[in-house]
Amino acid sequence: MLLRLLHRTTFVYAGKAHDSFNEVRLRPIDDATQSCRRYELRVEPAAQSRAYRDFYGNEVEYFDIAAGHSRLVVEAESEVSTVPDAERPPIPEASLADLAASPERELLAEFAVSCHYVPLDRDIWREAQDALAGGRSDVWGDVRRLGGHVHRTFAYRQNVTGVATRATDALKLRAGVCQDFAHVLLGMCRCLDIPARYVSGYFLNSHRRRGEDEASHAWIEAFVPGFGWAAYDPTHDRVADHRYVKVAVGRDYADIRPVSGTYRGAATRELKVTVRVREAAEPAVSA
Amino acid sequence: MSLLDTPYDVEKFFDEMFGADGEVRPHYRRLAERLGTLPEADFHQHRTAVELAFLRRGVTFTVYNNSEGTERIFPFDLIPRIIPATEWKKIEAGLIQRITALNLFLHDIYHEQKILRDKVVPAAQILSARHFRREFMNFSVPRDIYVQICGTDLIRDDAGNYLVLEDNLRCPSGASYMIENRAAMRRAFPTLFQTYRVRPVETYADNLLKAFLHIAPPKSDKPNVVLLTPGVYNSAYFEHTFLARQMGIPIVEGRDLVVRDAHVFMRTTAGLVPVDVIYRRIDDDYLDPTVFRSDSLLGVPGLVGAYRAGNVALANAIGTGVADDKVIYAYLPQIIKYYLDQEPLLPNVNTYLASDPSQRKYILENIGRLVVKSANEAGGYGMLIGPAATKEEIAAFRAQVAAQPRNFIAQDPIMLSRSPTWCDGRLQGRHIDLRPYILCGAKTIVTPGGLTRVALRKGSLVVNSSQGGGSKDTWVLQGDE
Amino acid sequence: MPPAVKTPAFRPQATVMLSRVAHSLYWMSRYIERAENLARLLDVNLQFLLDFHGVSDASKKEEPWGSILASTGDEALFETLYKKADSRSVTEFLAFDARNPGSILSSIFAARENARMIRDQISSEMWQAINELYLFLKDRTAADVWAAGPSEFLNHIKLASHTFQGLTEATYQRNEGWEFIQFGKFLERADKTTRILDVKYHILLPSAVDVGGAVDTAQWQAVLRSASALEAYRRFYVREILPWKVAEFLIFSDSFPRSLHYCVAQVDEFLRRILGESATRPRTAAARASRRLLADLESLPIDEVLEEGLHEFLIEVQKSLDRIGDEVVQTTMFYPVESGSEEQQHQQQQ
Repeated sequence: MLLRLLHRTTFVYAGKAHDSFNEVRLRPIDDATQSCRRYELRVEPAAQSRAYRDFYGNEVEYFDIAAGHSRLVVEAESEVSTVPDAERPPIPEASLADLAASPERELLAEFAVSCHYVPLDRDIWREAQDALAGGRSDVWGDVRRLGGHVHRTFAYRQNVTGVATRATDALKLRAGVCQDFAHVLLGMCRCLDIPARYVSGYFLNSHRRRGEDEASHAWIEAFVPGFGWAAYDPTHDRVADHRYVKVAVGRDYADIRPVSGTYRGAATRELKVTVRVREAAEPAVSA
Repeated sequence: MSLLDTPYDVEKFFDEMFGADGEVRPHYRRLAERLGTLPEADFHQHRTAVELAFLRRGVTFTVYNNSEGTERIFPFDLIPRIIPATEWKKIEAGLIQRITALNLFLHDIYHEQKILRDKVVPAAQILSARHFRREFMNFSVPRDIYVQICGTDLIRDDAGNYLVLEDNLRCPSGASYMIENRAAMRRAFPTLFQTYRVRPVETYADNLLKAFLHIAPPKSDKPNVVLLTPGVYNSAYFEHTFLARQMGIPIVEGRDLVVRDAHVFMRTTAGLVPVDVIYRRIDDDYLDPTVFRSDSLLGVPGLVGAYRAGNVALANAIGTGVADDKVIYAYLPQIIKYYLDQEPLLPNVNTYLASDPSQRKYILENIGRLVVKSANEAGGYGMLIGPAATKEEIAAFRAQVAAQPRNFIAQDPIMLSRSPTWCDGRLQGRHIDLRPYILCGAKTIVTPGGLTRVALRKGSLVVNSSQGGGSKDTWVLQGDE
Repeated sequence: MPPAVKTPAFRPQATVMLSRVAHSLYWMSRYIERAENLARLLDVNLQFLLDFHGVSDASKKEEPWGSILASTGDEALFETLYKKADSRSVTEFLAFDARNPGSILSSIFAARENARMIRDQISSEMWQAINELYLFLKDRTAADVWAAGPSEFLNHIKLASHTFQGLTEATYQRNEGWEFIQFGKFLERADKTTRILDVKYHILLPSAVDVGGAVDTAQWQAVLRSASALEAYRRFYVREILPWKVAEFLIFSDSFPRSLHYCVAQVDEFLRRILGESATRPRTAAARASRRLLADLESLPIDEVLEEGLHEFLIEVQKSLDRIGDEVVQTTMFYPVESGSEEQQHQQQQ
């Protein structure tokens, strides 16, 4: 599928901001399931950006704006081609023993331990046990059941949680948005020793109503030995398919912040985020 | 009546000055002669003069409670610690080997991670290390040198063997005391310096500056080096200003620096002046609010970006703390073998890792006999000295170790060597350690001597300034006597 | 043979001056001068009160306090904090009130804060001097001092300021930092001299009967004493205390260290050094303003000043001094802090 994406973030300040230093993670990843055909970052006021690849392989761009400005607009536009579902390899059944014995397991240690947004405490551990009360099956099967459990027992509600809400708090509320669903699912996978990571990106909402707000989306990827990272979306209780575009991965939200920075001056009066995900016609492929 | 007229008991410890039979070691003979003829009253005079000089010169460290700082002199003992040349050669070789391996290790950890793939060090230990900086992955560092200045703590066991206690690779401190102590000794005992041939430490600042100039970005022909300090409220502020003055470089705080288009500048009365190398005495966490702790007001927004773009160099590099970690310390012998294919010239203290199940069992069962340390606390806190601890302390530590095994190591207690120290009117043996300073520039230089710290309380093994420690001048001789 | 120990080569002192350091030196100096001048002003007027203890007209006794207050320019703040302007309330307001940023207490606290920020730049003697003064003030309450005798207290302040200035003179290196210290000191002193002179204005214009009378003369004497200028004046002029002569002396004398002319000459000198003005034509706005002010003080006759109005003249001088100070700060502090909120660090993320 060919998808065209727009992600615009606008900060409006109650006065002037200056000496603004920012990092953005907005460039979609290239991997086995997708390739980024076109990408452009526009910043207003204009700033020269530099790029590097971070620890998780995400492309990070950074820039600074010294002069005073009353608003900052960061806009990323891209075109991504995702591998059609039919062409994606099936996810094999792997056991916990396979996982423990896999050569990569050691290097994925940090995806199976506590981190800032996902502390592995007793509550999450109990939740995971409850979800798999029927017993463990294969790794991917367990992940799907855990994801389904989150989907069924949590309510999707906006404005009850915030950007700083951790998995433990979302668990108590049993409600939240995609970020919270992802964090809770990560906690449950990790308690069961399944390495899992946070994914931020977008998906094409085929049921989108006209004028409905779009936003970035969050889901997870779990490590299946003999396969690699397999993606699951707990908010919609489904495998992340060719409608999904990955932008960044990490341990939790803190590792993938789309736009973050510091500046001096007046407080932020308003933050507006615009996201647009559209399907584009595939360009004609020469024979 | 001289100081040597009162009886001195070496007990069962290795004493720096006296052999087991009470004989003065050859390299201390001249000192013994001098002390033998020095009336006690004169010795007291010297002591008082030195203390006064330290106070006046401000050779202090500051202890803060409710924002009122009390300045204390780091207590100084006039009896020097003397090391003959042959002994020092071994120490020097061992330290150079160690820092070479550590620089290679750091480069590997932040690039291909071959040592992890070859499973010499468990990846989990690195990834979960508090000071492992993911932000620093794949960063290219000038000349591939991560550590410009390292302070390695050495101790001696009851047989007189030197062992490495720990490496300090982030912001090792104390070099200013080393220099001031030497100056004080020269004033107090000028004739002794004529009889002994002591290798100088006064070249430290010069060599330190050279190490910084070595990593300056290539395009600057007259590199501007600055010292970045957290400011007056930091307990080591005296050392920051001292070193900056010795090197002749400006001392700045975070708010004096500004980043423009990935270049770092100093805010001066003449405008923005470019900065090429920063000797930073601020921990990674507080360096740049854009990348690390966002609430830090001590750092410089955009600094890491400028570093990444190669427009400024930092000494020491970011992320060196991963090798500071006491758990990684336990793997140093394997690390040296892996990168240099050599056996370590300076051995570690035998260490047990709580993260290993069988070793953890041993630790928990024998905790009363062991020294247990938290992997990342500096300054001697987060430590249990089993044989000296109460039942409650032991129980508390046992619980912590069981709960967070990754964060703890244990070691057999070493009978630290002792040195005659003036206490309560006479010379008594007190435990000491040694912190030599290793500088990595175009050449790796180990400053001859370093800071000998002494635990002033009888029987105490804790030498840190904040917990009742003092220091001595350290003399490395040109020859063996 | 002992190895030759190389004496550490003289290291060139870092030649750049950080804006922040310059800023702190400048303000440290200004605040101390401010505190000293205020102490002198209060002390003189207390004495004046004592001298006229016998004056029957009660209202005359209270007048000086209102006028002193007026000359500081802080009456509005005073009125929000106190009901009536009498010797006690005004002294408290000007000496100890932490709510008054211009009080002696506030000034010394601020001076010390600035000194602390640049602790390694000043000599330990200088630091000790300020710190001791701060500790002295911290332990005092208005009531204690008033009871003990305010004159002693005020003398202590003056003495401490002189000690500090003397130590600075003796121990501070003659570099750019020195220039900022002197610039700040003389700028503040010039400003305070205008206010000392202006006190007399705020006293209701004397009726014909009072001019030349004992009270009038005493008031002018108090003005001179506030500037420690009484003896110098007497040496310069004849014994007579004539108002226009006092004004002339305090404005135009080029040899008395507290007179406007002298202070502004120093301000101009140090400003030019700071800004690197060496040519005859001033380049910067600050140097131009300073040159103009100095020219006036070098050439204007006192008659012209009195004709225009002494008060108006003094206000204009204050404005010029403000402008000069601001300009220098803007130019050299390179990154001027306009207000706390301008420098506040924020995080933003999405």
